[in-house]
Amino acid sequence: MQVDIHAPYKDRIRQALGDPNLRVAVSKATDRMDNARNASMDEIEGERLRSQLRQMKQNVLRNWPDYLQELETNLRQNGCVVHWAEGIEDAQAIVKDIALQNSAKLVVKAKSMATEEIHLNHAMEEAGLRVVETDLGEYIIQLADEPPSHIVAPVIHKRMEEIAEVFQEKLDMPVTRDPTKMTSLARARLRKEFFAADIGISGCNFAIAETGTICIVTNEGNGRMVSSMPRVYVAVMGIEKLVPTVEDAFLQLQALCRSATGQQFTVYCSMTSGPRRKGDVDGPEQVHVVLLDNGRTRMFARGYGEALMCIRCGACLNACPVYQEIGGHAYGSTYNGPIGAVITPALAPEITQFKELPHATSLCGACREACPVKIDLPRLLLDLRSDLVQQGASPTTEALGIKSYSALMSSRRMYESLGKLASIGSNVYAGMSGGNIKFMPPPLNGWTAYRDFAPFARKSFRDWWKERSKKRQRA
Amino acid sequence: MSTRDNILASLRETLRQPDLPFPLLDSPPLTQAERMTVTSASGGLWAQAERFAQEIAAVKGTCELLETETEARLAIVSRLQIWVEEEQAARKTADAERAEDWDVLCWPPAQLHVEGLTHILKETGFKLIEPTDLHDPEQRERIRPVRAGVTSVEAAFASTGSFVVGAGGANARAASLTPFRHLVVVPFSRLFATAEDWLAEMRYAGGLDAYIRRSRNISIVTGPSKSADLEGNLTLGVHGPKVVHAILFDDVQE
Amino acid sequence: MHKATFERRPERVALFVTCMVDMLYPNVGIAACELLEKNGIQVSFPEEQTCCGQPAFNAGYRNEARKLARRFISIFGPLVDSGEIDAIVAPSGSCATMTSHFYEVIFQESNEPDLTIQAQRLAAVTFELTEFLVDVLGLVSTGAQLQGKAAYHPCCHLYRELGVDEQPRKLLAGVEGLELVELPHADDCCGFGGLFAIKNSGISAAMGRAKARYAQQSGADAVVLCDVSCMTHINGILSREGVDCRAQHIAEILNDQCGSNLRPPTDPTPTPADHPRRWGDVA
Ligand code: SF4
Repeated sequence: MQVDIHAPYKDRIRQALGDPNLRVAVSKATDRMDNARNASMDEIEGERLRSQLRQMKQNVLRNWPDYLQELETNLRQNGCVVHWAEGIEDAQAIVKDIALQNSAKLVVKAKSMATEEIHLNHAMEEAGLRVVETDLGEYIIQLADEPPSHIVAPVIHKRMEEIAEVFQEKLDMPVTRDPTKMTSLARARLRKEFFAADIGISGCNFAIAETGTICIVTNEGNGRMVSSMPRVYVAVMGIEKLVPTVEDAFLQLQALCRSATGQQFTVYCSMTSGPRRKGDVDGPEQVHVVLLDNGRTRMFARGYGEALMCIRCGACLNACPVYQEIGGHAYGSTYNGPIGAVITPALAPEITQFKELPHATSLCGACREACPVKIDLPRLLLDLRSDLVQQGASPTTEALGIKSYSALMSSRRMYESLGKLASIGSNVYAGMSGGNIKFMPPPLNGWTAYRDFAPFARKSFRDWWKERSKKRQRA
Repeated sequence: MSTRDNILASLRETLRQPDLPFPLLDSPPLTQAERMTVTSASGGLWAQAERFAQEIAAVKGTCELLETETEARLAIVSRLQIWVEEEQAARKTADAERAEDWDVLCWPPAQLHVEGLTHILKETGFKLIEPTDLHDPEQRERIRPVRAGVTSVEAAFASTGSFVVGAGGANARAASLTPFRHLVVVPFSRLFATAEDWLAEMRYAGGLDAYIRRSRNISIVTGPSKSADLEGNLTLGVHGPKVVHAILFDDVQE
Repeated sequence: MHKATFERRPERVALFVTCMVDMLYPNVGIAACELLEKNGIQVSFPEEQTCCGQPAFNAGYRNEARKLARRFISIFGPLVDSGEIDAIVAPSGSCATMTSHFYEVIFQESNEPDLTIQAQRLAAVTFELTEFLVDVLGLVSTGAQLQGKAAYHPCCHLYRELGVDEQPRKLLAGVEGLELVELPHADDCCGFGGLFAIKNSGISAAMGRAKARYAQQSGADAVVLCDVSCMTHINGILSREGVDCRAQHIAEILNDQCGSNLRPPTDPTPTPADHPRRWGDVA
């Protein structure tokens, strides 16, 4: 792994920026997905779809507890077991318990951010179970012992040769870069696991309140496999992943597919409403749904509810120029990219735990433009920065700097004198280095480490204005 | 208080805050009347069938359009025969007959909407696998080597080339999932211009929510299983079928 | 934000020149001023103005930002209210965004309804320069003539917050002799982002280098944009990387000023050595 997600922030960024493979892999893939999204949204009334999705999600949050209860009631009626989990430990305990009660040994998993959030694999393995990720990308990074680096494309950070190495090392596959051969090998290996597994675990892309239905969306079919083949199926869902009706589900589904990969529909959308009944040929005998809070109610109360409309399509990551440069691991959190920079601190017990993330963005707004729910991510990032300042989490030098800047700018006299001073100083200094400034002292060396700086003007605009006014008066 | 009650209480408390920045007090639901139809497909059933063919081809599936049920029946049989040949040709030891090549994991005859299909399949040497309980280890093992699955659909959407397979009763989920090749039978009477058209019809008939719940699992399928995880290279048949072939036929005769 | 519609052609405009233009790039301010005057506008420059407070707001220091916002409103508000000016024009999408979008936000947050309303009133008559020239004055061309290749870079605040994109492109297309080339990935951020450029300088510079690569690929002599902050960043990178291309503010281009690698129509093709290497106070 090139980027150590446990390293301090500055180191992670340095590692990421220093890895040329990473940038090539990430920018190639994000460009492809971003273009596909744009094209597929242009094909339809994309703007209208986004507005309608936003309206629907807003309504869900306004009536959140009611929809949750409706979902719970319907899931129970359908024969599902509903569990509520407040945090990571409870969620882990619930799933471990289910495994224990079923004397399970082997778990097959479909890619899921909610289970990443609760570090479920680790907990299950500690409890003596074998856990196999079955999404091809997720399978590769599980073999490589890395976390996913993108919400929908977990192995986006690896190039073909790196993936081939993993196959070679961990699966004894003869050297090949033929994607078809690699896929067949994975298919054969994972097929065995699907047939043998005791438990299937997935996340939940959305749940339909009116029918009590868990929907998972995949292209490979592993979502259908984990929810169909084992005797026990467990879906772990964030409590915000709700839609009111079946029609709403189809609206969101189409917005999700188009925004994530530019598809009209993903290959599979599997909608499970309960365990198999007497006479059914297949399907799980038990369906468990774990409703996970893990900071969501806290985030809601803190005023960051807008980000709870997120449908985890990854479009904001693909559109983000920062993400393109550093990939996902550099964020050091389960969720990365623009949405990760918002919800990681907003979900955390203290937002100050992730104080770097709201600053890891130039606030260019490409994410908001891409988001199918039109979440105002730049605005939320600005709000987080303000909250961080209020909680005293910003460096003293910065606070002092901003305070003196605002004092200075509050007085025309001071502003003008400073301008004069800066002009003389910077021109003398720039003259020494051939016209442009090549070095400045800390903290401004952050600028000159990579870029030159032009000296201040010898004559400011206001000087010109004054002179001109005088001339005109004389004339 | 239980975790559940805590969560619900916390949400309600937040929603009571008068100056909560989000969501606004006035956040009406998206109504049936205003909800948009995302895609569209125009024309009569044949035009829609052609659109379906075009769309499924775009996602690497294949398709045949037939005028009658009789033609469909023959097309199904010959498609399965072609598949057997392809399987055998693909194996290194091409001469070795493998009994499993002739296995077909099938929905029960009544669910396939093609009269006499199972009969003719048996006549032509196919072995129909119709499991009753796939948690039974023996039956489970039995379906493992099966290379072809045959199902019909609940509905198909012309504008996207998608189809809906519902599970329940003798309709195995596995039939459209575990085999390498999936043959899907779509009578025109199940073809809708768009997903929204199907939903509207079901809703109108009063059966949408009941249907979704009753069929403990439905899957909307759009083309063969695929992945782009290997540095963007498209590969097919990752977990689900690598080949998806739809046979559409006119059972309406407009 | 609701933009005012003018019943008669506005005649008097206050220039909100922005602190960066004032101190670093006066030529941009002069060009903006001359452009307006050439089109029959009477320009005033309220000399009390300093900075709009964006750096503080951007960094999360809202109290400090409010302090400067109040100051700004106290300078420009009375001019608008008394009818002394019809509009405020800034040669910057970013600073115009601060005063016309975010002032409202910060005063709403601090529960100051009077200031919120005043901010909204100012927002309605605040325009970015090209937005004003095209949308309000109905200009299609400024009559400028230049030779060389130019690529337009839409700065993020201008493009995404103010939704101004066609206006500058239209005016550029109206510059006689100027060949417009497409900047690949034009709407990708250049990486400036205010404090971001210092706090996350590595990432910011990597983004800037991507922009520089695309500028080079485009074959443009000049990258034209509407914000001097992004211009400073892009030029800082281009200069450090030794790329023979310069970013230049649109006001200068529209006002026939050369300066960067663009030349007056009569100039013979210069040798590379003649290209001004410095930017900023070129004149
Ligand atoms: S914030 Fe928007 S764009 Fe980003 S993942 Fe969520 S829904 Fe998609």
